[in-house]
Amino acid sequence: MLYKFAILEPVEDVHDVRVLEWHGAVLRAFAPGDLMVELETHKAVIEVRAGQHGILREILCRNGEWQKLGEPLGILSDAADELLSASPDGLAAWEAIFEIT
Amino acid sequence: MSSEAPSIRLFFREAIARALAEEMQLDPNVIVLGQDVGPFGGSYKEFAGLYEQFGPERVRDTPVSESGIIGLGVGAAAAGLRPLVSITYMDFLMLGFDPLINYGAKLRYKTGGQLRAPLIVKTTAGAKGQGVAHSQCIESWLMSVPGLKVVAPSTPSDAYGLIKSAFREEGPVVYIDHKRLFPTAGDVHIHETAVPIGEAIIRRTGHDITLVSHSYMIRVALEAAQLMAKDNISCEVIDLRSLAPLDIECLGASVARTAALATLEEGQITCGVGAEIIARLQETLGPLKAIRIGALAAPVSSNPVLEAACLPNAARVCSAIRLLLQSG
Amino acid sequence: MRGSSERALLQTMMLIRGFEEELQRRRDHGFQLLSSGEEAVAVGLCAALIGDDQLLCSGRSIGPALARGLDPGEVMAELLGKAAGPCRGKGGRGHMAAPALGFFGAHAVVAGNLTIAAGAALAMQQQKRPGLVACIFGDGACGSGALHETLNMAAIWQLPLLLVCDNNQYSVSTPAIQVLAPRRLASLASPFGIPFQTVDGMDVLAVRQAAREVTTAIRSGKGPAFLECISYRFSTHSTATRETRPILELEEWKTRCPILRLTSHLTEDGSLSDDARKQLAADVAKTIDGAIAFADAALWPEPREALTDVV
Repeated sequence: MLYKFAILEPVEDVHDVRVLEWHGAVLRAFAPGDLMVELETHKAVIEVRAGQHGILREILCRNGEWQKLGEPLGILSDAADELLSASPDGLAAWEAIFEIT
Repeated sequence: MSSEAPSIRLFFREAIARALAEEMQLDPNVIVLGQDVGPFGGSYKEFAGLYEQFGPERVRDTPVSESGIIGLGVGAAAAGLRPLVSITYMDFLMLGFDPLINYGAKLRYKTGGQLRAPLIVKTTAGAKGQGVAHSQCIESWLMSVPGLKVVAPSTPSDAYGLIKSAFREEGPVVYIDHKRLFPTAGDVHIHETAVPIGEAIIRRTGHDITLVSHSYMIRVALEAAQLMAKDNISCEVIDLRSLAPLDIECLGASVARTAALATLEEGQITCGVGAEIIARLQETLGPLKAIRIGALAAPVSSNPVLEAACLPNAARVCSAIRLLLQSG
Repeated sequence: MRGSSERALLQTMMLIRGFEEELQRRRDHGFQLLSSGEEAVAVGLCAALIGDDQLLCSGRSIGPALARGLDPGEVMAELLGKAAGPCRGKGGRGHMAAPALGFFGAHAVVAGNLTIAAGAALAMQQQKRPGLVACIFGDGACGSGALHETLNMAAIWQLPLLLVCDNNQYSVSTPAIQVLAPRRLASLASPFGIPFQTVDGMDVLAVRQAAREVTTAIRSGKGPAFLECISYRFSTHSTATRETRPILELEEWKTRCPILRLTSHLTEDGSLSDDARKQLAADVAKTIDGAIAFADAALWPEPREALTDVV
């Protein structure tokens, strides 16, 4: 199964985020608790950790690039050999835990 | 401004930090003073990195002494430094009115030109749930002080550009941010003097009414303009950027075309920015179809219901403009 | 006569006294705050200042301006509003300044110059310049929060700042003891760890001695200092204020006149003959006459100057 990775819960005053650093390249496997990516906001850094098992398949927003909160940052899948779809629309939401530092 | 200038997307606070870092690099006389500007990097992280790069003598944490540090800044400026004094809340700028206005704004005049005070006071205005003494927008109080310049950006690019322009001035400048601008991001054009002081900018062209605003309220103005466009009311939105001096020429040219004027500010309309604009434009253009929109005549409480009731929003702007355009 | 010699001190004090007497005789003297009686404070202080230093003062600026070496003709012109004054007549007594001569200037807001002086001292320190900044203020300023803020900032940053309290014991009509809790104003510096002393402000040699001590310490990097000089003004607070002090008190303090005291001192130790004293008086009178003539001949500023140097 493919998953769309985005911060779905609203964060007060945060609309734009900038990717500070991905912690893993495409095909890296994440386990629950693993640090996936750090995102910069106007006030703080958001540390996003995996909330489930999965494999990073596509990075939609690279280090230093901007994205709106709620919009997809990447695509993950259960298995490494699953075919990717054309767009992130309609994909299940990736479980993530985020912490504002 | 050159369209060739490279641009980089930055948070509002980063635009400020970048402008300051560049100016501090260019001129060793530039220093930053204020509460929590050092290792903490500023209340909004707008000074982040400066302490690490330039050290404690040039980026100084100060005691809570608004009058003291503004006086210190003015004296230091008169004696050859180029200080930027940070006053975290515009409400507390009032504490520094004596050194800023009685000395700083009058120094060049009272010494017959022998001394100048190139001081920048950077402060943050606006309501954001922090209560009656931490919410005020009092820029209109400063506009009538001879010798003082007052600027207020609404975008990260203009924050960058206005700070750099402020460092080219020979006298005191009050540079005003807004609490609600810090969460925003925008493309910043990296350029020496991208935003001249005294120059407004048209943010949205239109022909039915000129809507003039500054600082955070520009975002409300643009939101209102978008809503009114659906009803075929075309608003020309002008961002003042500079409150003293005002770009009356830009405003006058627009109103000459639209024949209707609405001014929008978060501060009080009594003796406000809009009052001055309308009076000045009427002197040259004759009687105008005009309306001022601003906060209700009450202190702005931290109470979310009351704060929302006091502050202008897009809906109120639309109502006011519709009413104006419907009237004879 | 320049310099810090005793004769120079006497001559400068006589110049200030005579200058103010002539000023007061004029119908067009305007609103003035006179230094008569307090001459020793500014004169003794300036004897310890060098060219690199900057002096600031309150609205009682005639004594400090002349003591710092401004040309008496230009000072008179400024007081009368003529364009030949150092501020082109636009500052007047309350804002007289000549920074090129080390007179950063007067400011007419009570205590208004204190934080400014701290800022100027910060600039000296930051730019590693050899000078220090001295600021004269009255007992009246000691009720202001600005003094507290200045003492604090000067202490935490060890600014090269000398605060000189010219305590003439009255703030317009109000005796200092009625409105200021500290009996000894110099002790206001104590909680900040700033060295302080109190001297007889009617004794120019005592002021000079103390000023030399404190400025030497500041120049050697020891940080700010507070020097209180107890003085007494012989005129009313201003040319527009009536006298309310007890006559007996005024008479008593006049016997401590700094000019009479130094004259006696120099006469007694033989360094000032009667002829020399007369010559000094004549030179001073000539200087004052010249100053008045210069100021009277000087032009008024053009009305359009109301709009120059605004921003």
